[in-house]
Amino acid sequence: MLQSMAALQSLLIGVVLIWSARIKLLDRRAADQVGTSALGTLLGSGRAVPAYRLLGGVELVLGILLVVPPAPVAEPVAASTLAAGFVGYLWYARRAAPGSSCGCLSAKATPVTGRSIARAGGLALAGLLGAVAAGGGYWLSAVVDQPAASVALLLAEVAALVALSPEFDAAWLLPLRRLRARLTHPLRGGSGIPLLASVQQLQLSGAYRQVAALLTSDVREHWLEQPWRMVCYSARYQGRPATAIFAVPAADAAPERVRVALVDDSTGATLLSLTDPAYAS
Amino acid sequence: MANTMDRRRLLSTAVLGGAGIAGATALGSLAPEAAFAAEPVKVVPGQPDPNFAEGRVTTINGSVVLLAGSDGALYRIQVTNGTSIWKFQPTTFDRLEKGDGMYVRGVRLPDGTLAADSLWANIVNLTAHIASVGRNVLHLDHHGRRLIGHVVPGTTAAVYNGTPAISDISLLRVGGHVQIIGAWHPDTNEISIATVYAAN
Repeated sequence: MLQSMAALQSLLIGVVLIWSARIKLLDRRAADQVGTSALGTLLGSGRAVPAYRLLGGVELVLGILLVVPPAPVAEPVAASTLAAGFVGYLWYARRAAPGSSCGCLSAKATPVTGRSIARAGGLALAGLLGAVAAGGGYWLSAVVDQPAASVALLLAEVAALVALSPEFDAAWLLPLRRLRARLTHPLRGGSGIPLLASVQQLQLSGAYRQVAALLTSDVREHWLEQPWRMVCYSARYQGRPATAIFAVPAADAAPERVRVALVDDSTGATLLSLTDPAYAS
Repeated sequence: MANTMDRRRLLSTAVLGGAGIAGATALGSLAPEAAFAAEPVKVVPGQPDPNFAEGRVTTINGSVVLLAGSDGALYRIQVTNGTSIWKFQPTTFDRLEKGDGMYVRGVRLPDGTLAADSLWANIVNLTAHIASVGRNVLHLDHHGRRLIGHVVPGTTAAVYNGTPAISDISLLRVGGHVQIIGAWHPDTNEISIATVYAAN
């Protein structure tokens, strides 16, 4: 039982390596991004693409050898060594080039995380199991002997690999999170007119255009005085510090009704009051 | 408090009272040349803007704030009654704390002090993807780094497709791209979200 399960590891690793090689050798987008990935940072962008292609070639050859018969013990040993090398590379890349893309299993730029390192570690362990326990057995005979158990094990291992691959999150994790958000509505509850809505309206108004050159500050203070929202700015008018107070319709979008007054800061006298004559009631 | 109420009443009366309503010409010439000729900003090409400062607060002494700039420069900021202060929302001087990061715009005085016109504390402007949402929390993927964005109901505003801002942020989608103006919680990976811009 253990022997046939161990023999299956060659198939799993072989398929993963061929998938990975396909990205590295055939995906033009992935090759374009190598320069900005961890490999590009560590080797220099000039050497990154040949090294990436070479790695893809090694993965392809090893993947094919693992999948087709015969199955000498050397194959899972080599696969395990390669995966252990990935663990070391990813660990180093995370220290030396934090935030850069891993370039592992997808053309999508995915930063190196603990998950990608755990995935490479898992593959190394699977290779080790294949080397130690399979005893040169071929995976096909294991599938024929125990089809249900073999398929179940392979599916479980593939699921674990996908779960450890940030590259595939968009396919399963995001839809699950979207579903959860749709069912639980965690962002419900916002109500009222935000200050920004009033400021946007104010900035579209004729009153603002008239006095904009006099304003010296951002919004200083605001309060509601139904049906208006009052918004204050600092201003300078004829060399005197003043407060520009805008009255903005709180509930409606009516920039033409926005009014403004300039009030002298020291005396409290109204220096200027502007409103559209049509609404000056 | 009573002072604030009196002041607000005075200001409201000025703008709503209708007394002294004047036409646009009360401002004198409204020609663009007149407006732009007012006060030219003296910035020497290649030199830092003298009327701008940024940094983290090291000391607050009365109404003077000392900043340590990110390039090593030290700034003295004089805050006045006319200074607008933003810290997640328009607020008051007593809400500023040691350790806050800030951007300040104002007028440079002869002694090198910057008299602040506008001051924005801990303000951040960033682009991100929404990785996940929780109760009034957005988990953001900011170029591969995880940020936590807190939503403050009633204050956080959302702008969808460039339309006027609204308070309802429930239209945000997990996986969607957003731009966020917010206030950083100093020395953490958390922000309070003031405005979130999204396509919908």
